[in-house]
Amino acid sequence: MSGTSAPSRKGLSKIACNRLQKELAEWQVNPPSGFNHKVTDNLQRWVIEVNGAPGTLYSNETFQLQVDFPEHYPMEAPQVIFLAPAPLHPHIYSNGHICLDILYDSWSPAMTVSSICISILSMLSSSTVKQRPTDNDRYVKNCRKSPKETRWWFHDDKV
Amino acid sequence: MQNQEGLQADADMASITPIQASEVEDWANFRDDDIMQQQSAIRAVEAEKIPLVGDKEPLSSLAAEYQSGSPILLEKIKVLSEQFDAIRRTRGDGNCFFRSFMFSYLEHILESQDQEEVHRITGNVENCRKTLQSLGYADFTFEDFFALFLEQLESVLQGNEASISHDELIQRSRDQSISDYVVMFFRFVTSGEIRKRSEFFEPFILGLTNTTVEQFCKSSVEPMGEESDHVHITAVSDALGVPIRVVYLDRSSCDTGGVSVNHHDFIPAISDAPSGTSGGSETKPFINLLYRPGHYDILYPK
Repeated sequence: MSGTSAPSRKGLSKIACNRLQKELAEWQVNPPSGFNHKVTDNLQRWVIEVNGAPGTLYSNETFQLQVDFPEHYPMEAPQVIFLAPAPLHPHIYSNGHICLDILYDSWSPAMTVSSICISILSMLSSSTVKQRPTDNDRYVKNCRKSPKETRWWFHDDKV
Repeated sequence: MQNQEGLQADADMASITPIQASEVEDWANFRDDDIMQQQSAIRAVEAEKIPLVGDKEPLSSLAAEYQSGSPILLEKIKVLSEQFDAIRRTRGDGNCFFRSFMFSYLEHILESQDQEEVHRITGNVENCRKTLQSLGYADFTFEDFFALFLEQLESVLQGNEASISHDELIQRSRDQSISDYVVMFFRFVTSGEIRKRSEFFEPFILGLTNTTVEQFCKSSVEPMGEESDHVHITAVSDALGVPIRVVYLDRSSCDTGGVSVNHHDFIPAISDAPSGTSGGSETKPFINLLYRPGHYDILYPK
């Protein structure tokens, strides 16, 4: 019953490392608009600044995304969360976990950090109300540390 | 350390989540974390029992599966055994069509040493690369997958430094880090072909999922583990110019009395012979797959 294995943080595979270097180079030439990657020497964790789009509920607000890459990126999805304070949004929990299918089941190696960012910005921009998910408190209290491990909770009981 | 709060309290956990009905079905019986973990553990154990690509087995092993089952299926397997003598199973992980296609194709090249075919498909692969580029895919998203496929293709041709044996081909097909990359290569090729000819594929996709071509590719072609059907097969066969025969084994019976087994040949659109009489033997596919509802395996003709 003690199944809470902490996700072991393995280094990037060679192929993942290679891919990320190319992705980073591309980002530097052509970053998605509204985003700013704070370049560090850590290829495995990117911290990205998100600027709310003008004319939306989040204009003039700035948030930070933390993207952690697994050993087998891009076959496996990166882990993407908002650092505190996370935007008030019906699909974003106060602990920064984001309810967005492409981050979990619908991830594909054809996607990139850049395409994730665009999806997240579009999710923010289409929001009509600034509020937490209705189950925020219980989710935040019970969830596992990584949203990639707790994704099934989203699927629970929606029958 | 499980959380102490009643897990049934999760009832409305999903209420905000836009998820697709098919996903809900799959996971609907997951009541809580414990069951979830148990289930995925069982699933992992089950999956490991079947390698990504299995051993070649006599067709009688297929009949053995249905010993106490449907007489129609047993009859059909009997009919099948007149044309085929072996089956190679693949893991039912949603990638079985692409994985079967991969193994079947590479094995064919290994055995035939058909240089001309390798030359031909290499040209098609280059066209697929251009298709993806013109659709706006960044090179770095697909080039590793393309390189890995071309590497496998080269290695099944004998007489160069990279050449591999049949055993090695099996091993590589079972090695997730190679096998999944080749599967993903086919997913890129399939997606590129569907998008390139979106007006052709649109009606089929609408009939299948009622989504746009773009959305279909994003949610049903490009993610690993998404199952394939005739749209995927048509696209990959056309893009690579490889004919594929799919033999259907299901309970349907025909009115004419005798039991027969249906098959469908996917013949690449480009190499279509001048229309006329059906079934030219020139286009007889060398890839033979067995389809049972929800799953593809490889068949070996006599």
